Amino acid sequence: MQLLRRLISRLVGGAIMVLVVASFTFFLVRLMPGNPVAAEYNTLIMRGMTPTQAQNEVRVMYGYIPHEPLVDQYFHYLWQLLHFNLGQSISYEGVSVLHIVLSDAPWTIVLVFLGLITSFLLGVTAGVIAAVKRSTGLGNALTVSGSLLHGIPQFVVALLLAFLFTTLWPIFPFGAPYNANLTVGFNFPFLGSVAYHAVLPVAAYAISSYGGWLLTMKSSVISVLGDDFVLAAEIRGVKPRIRFGYIARNAILPLFTVFALSLGFMFGGSLFIENIFDYNGLGNLLVTSISNRDYPLMSGAFLFITMAVILSNIIADFLYSVVDPRIRRST
Amino acid sequence: MIAEQLPQPTTSAATLRRPSFLSIAWRVISARPSRMLGLAIIVFFALMAIVGPFLYPHNLPINPNAIYAPPSLRYPLGTDFEGTSNLALIVTGARYVLFAALMAALFTVFFGTSIGLVSGYFLGPTDTILMRITDFILTIPGFPLLVVLSTVWNFGQPIAMGFVLGITGWGGLARAVRSQTLSLRERGFVEAARGLGLPWWHIVFQEILPNIGPYIAMNLLVSITGGIYAEVGLFYLGVVPFHVNNWGVMLNLAVFTGGALQSPQALPYLLSPLVCILLLTLGVVLFLDAMDEMFNPRLREG
Amino acid sequence: MSLYDLAPTAEDAGIHIQNLTVSYDTDRGRFNALKNVTLDIRPRHITGFIGESGSGKTTLAMAMMNAIQPPGRIDGGAILLDGAGDVLQLRGEPLRRLRGRYFGFVFQASSNSLNPLKRVGAQLMDLGRSHGISDLRGLLREAKALAERIGLDGDRVLTSYQHELSGGMRQRVGLVFALVLKARILILDEPTTALDMLTQQAVLEIVRSIHQEQGLTTIVITHDMGVVAEMADRVVVMYAGRVVEEGPTFSLLTNPQHPYTQGLIRAIPRITGNLDDAKPLPGSPPDLATIPTKGCVFRERCYARTSVCDTVDPVPTSAHGDGLVMCHGVDAS
Repeated sequence: MQLLRRLISRLVGGAIMVLVVASFTFFLVRLMPGNPVAAEYNTLIMRGMTPTQAQNEVRVMYGYIPHEPLVDQYFHYLWQLLHFNLGQSISYEGVSVLHIVLSDAPWTIVLVFLGLITSFLLGVTAGVIAAVKRSTGLGNALTVSGSLLHGIPQFVVALLLAFLFTTLWPIFPFGAPYNANLTVGFNFPFLGSVAYHAVLPVAAYAISSYGGWLLTMKSSVISVLGDDFVLAAEIRGVKPRIRFGYIARNAILPLFTVFALSLGFMFGGSLFIENIFDYNGLGNLLVTSISNRDYPLMSGAFLFITMAVILSNIIADFLYSVVDPRIRRST
Repeated sequence: MIAEQLPQPTTSAATLRRPSFLSIAWRVISARPSRMLGLAIIVFFALMAIVGPFLYPHNLPINPNAIYAPPSLRYPLGTDFEGTSNLALIVTGARYVLFAALMAALFTVFFGTSIGLVSGYFLGPTDTILMRITDFILTIPGFPLLVVLSTVWNFGQPIAMGFVLGITGWGGLARAVRSQTLSLRERGFVEAARGLGLPWWHIVFQEILPNIGPYIAMNLLVSITGGIYAEVGLFYLGVVPFHVNNWGVMLNLAVFTGGALQSPQALPYLLSPLVCILLLTLGVVLFLDAMDEMFNPRLREG
Repeated sequence: MSLYDLAPTAEDAGIHIQNLTVSYDTDRGRFNALKNVTLDIRPRHITGFIGESGSGKTTLAMAMMNAIQPPGRIDGGAILLDGAGDVLQLRGEPLRRLRGRYFGFVFQASSNSLNPLKRVGAQLMDLGRSHGISDLRGLLREAKALAERIGLDGDRVLTSYQHELSGGMRQRVGLVFALVLKARILILDEPTTALDMLTQQAVLEIVRSIHQEQGLTTIVITHDMGVVAEMADRVVVMYAGRVVEEGPTFSLLTNPQHPYTQGLIRAIPRITGNLDDAKPLPGSPPDLATIPTKGCVFRERCYARTSVCDTVDPVPTSAHGDGLVMCHGVDAS
């Protein structure tokens, strides 16, 4: 019951956040210098359209008509959003934004997800070792590796990886998510090529967030090791394996709260990583849409990235409350 | 409690005659060569930002005969696409990068600290609303937001850049300051101040703020590096117009115009700013270790 | 009334501590938390360890289980346990088994000695698995009976998480954990701290009756003279990592020999009588870093200080019949 109530409140909170972000992009575009919506309308008139045709065209792109009062435009826009209509792209003429975003999203989500899993596993393991062996050389070395990698920005990691492993030592292919000569589909050579091409970008995600997991896990383990119940279990002669389980579960819990930050950070990194490794994902889409002044596409891509982060957070929060009885059974 | 086993440190003696902050700082920093190195790197880049632009003419000389020249005595870091010395570009570009990052850090600390303090001190509905906003700021992916904002905001001035970086980046600090405020407001001296009927601003700024000052100082340094990464990232992606020469512009031109990732000739142009960022990161990480020890004496045990 | 078979199963377990020295590594150097402690803990007795914070009483109890935590270290000595040999020589598996078989340590009420993420019952089963109990259901049944014996709602407690239990309940659950494997030695750390007066009384009564029924060797760590007076058969007075006086409770309380013990007793205010009669001990509790390495450790606060106290370590002198005291003042008389 407690769980359900918490989940519902999170979902409502998430919906409000999405609404705020959607409103933000709406007003951003409307308040842009030169009013791109009106400018688009004027361009269409100049191309010889009648005002009605031009109005309809703009409405398809943005979801509202340039000459309506602002409030009407806003509600028209939201109404369209509610029907998953994100408007139409300007640079890809006649293609709906939703279609473009949906076809690009899988690349981003798969890469971010793989990077997240890799960095989480590596970082958490290294964090435990760094905490347990904190007075030894190995522990110190791990901690230093964590702080350094935590400090290096993603584009530096990605650029260095690209330089080292595609130019200096060409072990991995440069650019493009797969070998263009292969037939796209569920066949072994194609999937192999996808995996091979994905190694560097996934490594870039993983390396840039490994340090964060390591440092958080280390401090969490150290704090749990100081808890009375760990000493109590030792004094009671509880088996080391069981005791390790006690420590691990308690130490991993606080990491759920880091999840939110980490995920936003990783999706932010997609702007660089997809750009450098030439993936058609959401991050690249956002950057190119801005260069192309394709504002409906920009709004759609940004909204989608935000929604992905918000949704993942709700899932993480739900899992957290399932695992922690102090939330699950709070009175 | 089991902690009783540990000998109690004599805090009374330590607080009676406290050595000056600078002498403590110096002792902690000089304790390890790595910290000295970190400090030296930071000072080096700070000096570069302050005096750098005075060392070179306003319009850097170009040399059509030395386009993408390799490192040499005349061009220690090679040259760019029009034969300008990369070293000159790095040195003159440091000011915008570091000044904007400093601005970003100041704005971050200003917003984060004031919201955290107010939220943690007043609690109730103020706290609820402020923390909702903080959660929102924390959840929205910051860098994509910056990229979107770049369509309406003019990033030409370092202050403008710093302001936007600050306003999108205060979430984490606000939350940390709030939780510290929460624990401080239950302490004896704050309760006493409240009991005396002192006004809230006195309690918040005179009693609580000095106690979290060190933590905020550490965050200032972390925020500066965060600011550097974000702004260099924006310039690298090319979503911000290139008003001034800086490291991010160099990266962008090296990769997208020079094709540095495929052709080795533009490589010095790419690696110069990259190595600078790595060096600065290294310096800050090494120095943070000293700040950690200065402000959290308890860490010395671990 | 006892649902639970409380008959003692193993032989009596006395503890013989010989020349035990424990030190702590701090950033200001290495300091002794216990120095040359020699002491016999008698089986079937309740022994009270009394002293101020930092006197080493908890360290002594942890050392008996060979559970000194870093940065602490056992520098020398032996702890002979009847039927098990020197505990300090054990490592790994044998030490783990011994802890489960012999010792039950009960944390004070304010500490969190349970894994917050697991139900009490599940943690009891972990304990059983760790010590080769095959009949886990039987173990839970016994735990439930024991819990009810000490005034808890057995079913509720076994299905609870730590955060659902009050401080007093946690302490009793700690008692269940300590006794469910039929430990021979029960150690209670500050059993009355953080409890209200009535609960304190209830806990002490439970401990006393279980001690008698099971024929335990019980150690009560406390800074409360009242607890010692009420519970203990014998008292060990500790100061700055040394046992300064030891003996039967009645004799020690009515005729304290060591100036420190005298001070502790004088410091107790009484309900009847003048509050001004209670005299606080002069000076402050010992700080391990400033304890003199030579001579008597108590001399800075002692009314009977002489020049010999500055240079010569006091040696144990027989007192209270079968007890001892470490003081030059007693030496001389």
